[in-house]
Amino acid sequence: MRSVPRVAGGGADSRDGGSLPGMPAPAPAGPPPERRRPLDVAALIPIVRRIVAARVPDRATADDLVQETLARVLAAVERIEPGMVEPYAIVTARNVVATMWRDQDRQRRHQHRVVDLRPPQLPDEDVLAEEDRAAMAEALTRLSERERSTLLAHEVSGQDTHSLAAELGSTAGAVAAQLNRTRARLRVEYLLAADRVEPPTPRCRPVLLALSSGDRRRQREVDAARHLLECEVCARLSEPLMGRGRSRDDEVRVAVHADADVVAARQAARDLATRLGFSPTDLTGIATAVSEVVRNIVRFADAGEVLVELLDSPRRGIRIIARDSGPGIPDVQEALRDGYSTYRGLGLGLPGARRLMDEFAVASEPGRGTTVTMTKWREDA
Amino acid sequence: MTVGPRLFSILRQGTCLIASIHTALDDSQLLRFQEDLIATIGRDRARGVVIDVAALDVLDSFATSTLRDIGEMARLRGAATVIVGIQPDVAIAMVRLGLRTGVLETALDLEEGLALLGDRMAGSPAARR
Ligand SMILES: [Zn+2]
Repeated sequence: MRSVPRVAGGGADSRDGGSLPGMPAPAPAGPPPERRRPLDVAALIPIVRRIVAARVPDRATADDLVQETLARVLAAVERIEPGMVEPYAIVTARNVVATMWRDQDRQRRHQHRVVDLRPPQLPDEDVLAEEDRAAMAEALTRLSERERSTLLAHEVSGQDTHSLAAELGSTAGAVAAQLNRTRARLRVEYLLAADRVEPPTPRCRPVLLALSSGDRRRQREVDAARHLLECEVCARLSEPLMGRGRSRDDEVRVAVHADADVVAARQAARDLATRLGFSPTDLTGIATAVSEVVRNIVRFADAGEVLVELLDSPRRGIRIIARDSGPGIPDVQEALRDGYSTYRGLGLGLPGARRLMDEFAVASEPGRGTTVTMTKWREDA
Repeated sequence: MTVGPRLFSILRQGTCLIASIHTALDDSQLLRFQEDLIATIGRDRARGVVIDVAALDVLDSFATSTLRDIGEMARLRGAATVIVGIQPDVAIAMVRLGLRTGVLETALDLEEGLALLGDRMAGSPAARR
């Protein structure tokens, strides 16, 4: 039996809304970012100094550039997501240096000559900082020119979304959305670079991006949860990204490995549905449908996951998504027909569950797994 | 394995067994229940079995087919089976699910189940021969 990466319900161990995992904590360890912001910026001085000094050997010039970087960060601190302060400072420092050099090609040609003239205080810390710096630099190069320039114009030059929108022939809302996507991409590229891995499949980046941006609709579209069942790399990398979503009390995830999980899943669904005020008859129907669908995971796939979530729109209701990475159902239409039987029993699993729910969909790919999505709406809601 | 509260109990009353399921059972536990019950029928030479499922909030296809199997196995060993205590919402879900209890006898509660068994045991040997 495979081990299934935990797909956490949210909230787990996120220091704040948008921290880049693995960023070196400025010494001394920073205070909670949302409270003492000025102090937080002051705590950035060591890393900014190192970034600048690593690129600019001349001490006096470096000091000027550090001052300029911090001034820009301070000016912008109200606009920055709490967790983005460090990456923002790094981006700013790099940009300030780049501006001084003006010519980006020249920057690249000289990169190999970069020397850190300052003696490292703690060798380990310095190595770590160097790796993070390299990862962030690498991540930035993986953005498209347009993404990078918009991000830098906003984060570094302090250009607001309205004026950016005017320049780009777009709307402020669209620019803000693009900036969010770019930040999400930066987080993903940072993690990949820091881990020195290439995503093993073409699906990896879209999945990681959907997780990074916390876009649940997109996560469903790319079937992110199922990919995490299949892909070791993404399962590992996504852990720091998963904490980004708000902690939610309107959804429950149940990992499915064994018989007992069928009971756990149907009880979880019943508990959540009870909060929505479903009638006892509907509650029993929902629990029964979940039981049928989840049993298929245990029977055929060994492992999978059930997501139960409450819906607000277009009406109030409950949706159950049961997915596995098993062998898949060769003929879904056939399986939905009454009398279909591939296991000991009445063979009424899927068609029966469909009759108990309002909406029912099965997506299955041979060799890749099956996802059953079913919804029950509150009748009077 | 038998840690914690008991999942089910099988009590003897005269020539009958009263098997009560106390909580939601997963598939493996249902199969253990089936095994224990069939073994007890043989050991006690029971002529009738009442299975009380009032504590179950779900009777899905597997649970229903297990109960049908029990009924069939018990019949082959000379015992009649009656299922009692199917909750109203559970009954509705079973019908919508398309489940049939088929050959299984059912009764509203334990008392009626035992009464039904009494009739069956009084009538069936004579009816058979
Ligand atoms: Zn992947």
